[in-house]
Amino acid sequence: MKGRRAVAVVLALLTLTGGVAFAAPPNDRVLAADQYTTDKSRRLGATHVRALQDLNAGIYHCWPWVETQKSSIGFYRPKGAQQDDRYLAIRIYIEQDPSPVFGKMKFEERSAAMFSRYVGPLLKRMTRDDALANDPSLDGFTAILEWMKQAPPINGRPVHETVAIFIDKASALDYLAGRADIRTLAGRARVLGFDGETALGPITLAPT
Amino acid sequence: MRRVRGKLLLFTAVVVVAAGCATGEEWSTWYEHRTHFASYEHLTFSTRNTEGSAPKVTRQDITLARDEGWWGKPITVSQEQILER
Repeated sequence: MKGRRAVAVVLALLTLTGGVAFAAPPNDRVLAADQYTTDKSRRLGATHVRALQDLNAGIYHCWPWVETQKSSIGFYRPKGAQQDDRYLAIRIYIEQDPSPVFGKMKFEERSAAMFSRYVGPLLKRMTRDDALANDPSLDGFTAILEWMKQAPPINGRPVHETVAIFIDKASALDYLAGRADIRTLAGRARVLGFDGETALGPITLAPT
Repeated sequence: MRRVRGKLLLFTAVVVVAAGCATGEEWSTWYEHRTHFASYEHLTFSTRNTEGSAPKVTRQDITLARDEGWWGKPITVSQEQILER
């Protein structure tokens, strides 16, 4: 009888620990601290690694239709920045059913729709950790939103549309504190568009 | 009697194997598309979800599908075109 109970306990433990390991998000989504190229970014990466892992886990568990890739989360510098501005960046791929209405919109309109759906909630998640949000070395936030283009694949490869949204810290904090609405935030953000691998340059989000 | 049974078994095995054999052309087709499944997990997912049945998709399936490009490697902008480390 004792033996049976022990087996049951072991099985239960195995099931539980196995379940936890199975449900864990991939641990390569956050850029490792030693991959940064400057002292400022290395310090940010090392100090806030836990907050970034929590951000990754939150997205993984709460937004199952959203995917991140390796090194999608980190304190990156916008390409071409003159100084070492460090923005907390996250890149997400948004899985959605094909929609004729969405497909017929202009690129700027699709981008605006994605902005209003995801940027606010992302900023809230990215600033959940007070120590991170108040770190004076943090200069802003980057959200890279990507979705499948509603067009036939090219050589069997699906094409993605992407927008990269750069928001300085003051604008993000104004929005989060309720001093600016999402339209105001969109107006203050710098947005770059991409059709597949082709850069479309800065775009103005169409009003939604 | 035992010998006859043995021969029958052998004959049946040969027929089954021969019937299941692919032609050279079929092998060639398979060879050209041997990367149809990106991984064992992809193969398992595809055999588990056949057309007409309710799909059974786990969170891990979604992650692996993207990581391994189950539906084709997408044409998209690289991270290095937007950000610097």
